[in-house]
Amino acid sequence: MSYKIPMGPYHPALEEPYKLDLICEGETVRDAKLHIGFNFRGIEHLAETRNYIQVIALMERVCGICSNIHTLTLCQSMEQLTGLTPPPRALYIRVVVAELERLHSHVLWAGIAAKLMGFKTMFMTCFELREKVMDVLQAISGNRVNYSMNRIGGVNRDIDDPLAVLAMVQALEREMVRTVIPIFTTSSTARSRCAGIGILTREKALSCGVVGPTARASGLPQDLRRDAPYAAYSEMEFNVPVQPDGDVRARLLVRALEIMESCKILRQALTKMPPGEINTGDAKIVFAAGTATSRVEAPRGEVMYSVSWKQDAKNPSRVHVRTPTFANMPSVRWMVLGARLADTPLIQASIDPCYSCTDR
Amino acid sequence: MTSLESIPETLGITAPLVLKGGVHWLEPGVMTVRELAASMNALQARFITITAYQLPHDEGFRLEYHWDLGGQLLGFPFVLAGNSIDSIYDLCEAVDWIEREIHEGFAIDFLGRTYEPLLLRQGDTPGVNLREEVK
Repeated sequence: MSYKIPMGPYHPALEEPYKLDLICEGETVRDAKLHIGFNFRGIEHLAETRNYIQVIALMERVCGICSNIHTLTLCQSMEQLTGLTPPPRALYIRVVVAELERLHSHVLWAGIAAKLMGFKTMFMTCFELREKVMDVLQAISGNRVNYSMNRIGGVNRDIDDPLAVLAMVQALEREMVRTVIPIFTTSSTARSRCAGIGILTREKALSCGVVGPTARASGLPQDLRRDAPYAAYSEMEFNVPVQPDGDVRARLLVRALEIMESCKILRQALTKMPPGEINTGDAKIVFAAGTATSRVEAPRGEVMYSVSWKQDAKNPSRVHVRTPTFANMPSVRWMVLGARLADTPLIQASIDPCYSCTDR
Repeated sequence: MTSLESIPETLGITAPLVLKGGVHWLEPGVMTVRELAASMNALQARFITITAYQLPHDEGFRLEYHWDLGGQLLGFPFVLAGNSIDSIYDLCEAVDWIEREIHEGFAIDFLGRTYEPLLLRQGDTPGVNLREEVK
């Protein structure tokens, strides 16, 4: 006999509101339906009522974790419409903040995954590491969530002493190598909760169009930082970690290895940062009529913004945002098929879902 | 991997590929959206999203379909005089949620598919979120 177990929209296993209707036979999940939109904010529509300064502040609120990525993608789109090119130093600062944000996001996720595994000590370790990253973001921007770094034509704040950030990068790298990666890869707790659980095959990942670490953990080697470089990524050397297994452990490993790659990118960007201006100045910005699109590799995967402007308009006529969780979330249905009911919280968390992004 | 330059010929489209605003645009001409989706599958392109625009003066809608091919973003605009267009859900699973969202946001019908309950929770009437006037 099958029965339905509703998980959510408000549930201890979920960080944000969404609903998973699980059809079970005994303890085994046979089907699942996902429901989102419990906190839909209509931000795309709101954007049509904001000018080019206000719209940056608005889109920074799409997500509380990858807020910088949203303004970066938006500004890159608007720079195409205004013809403004950020100075080289601004492009490096954009890389630094984007990678710090990736570190913060991945370490946060590792902590939450550890908590869902019942591994509370690891949760505390990860959150202590995350604090170090947050401290650096606060030192650079003055903020811990919405950094307000991006503007059309560059960035708002300089990194006065890039080499000072290196100390945090080295401390984080050391702790990842010494503690986090070995424990996540060798401890029996992590292995028993993650290996062979929540498998998304390469074929299904392709079919669902998943992005970011979720795709790379299913053997798809896609990363916009390498495939379509933006900011100063074309000047960075890094690897794109790919795992073939498609299970929770693969998603965990991909993110852990990406933390190491982010540290590698940060070290290059901080040591090679060119001198000079950080933006194109305060002259009046004129928009050409038309549509411009930009894509960026956010911590959870690819973000795309399409921005349209009409002649002499103050506000955009359309801002469309495709967030990574919007692409990844439907694949959870396939991940939980045949899984044990007790594993579903960790499986759904393994895509690092952001309902704030999804309910934009 | 198919080169960008050869895509119009591969798709049987005479219009050239135009790079504008970060997208390689190709006017699909007489090609239907379902033929396009099947061709994109054959090229192993990755579906990205559909962006919907409401055109002024009751001129209908424009749907821009985006696929990624080797890191390059392809765009195919389709203008709808009415409120409907064929769904490509059976050809491209990744399109499911964005078709549902556009259906709810702009009241556009994607023909040949069924809709599960609303993605956007507020309200029961499709088109209330992004369309200027619900008809």
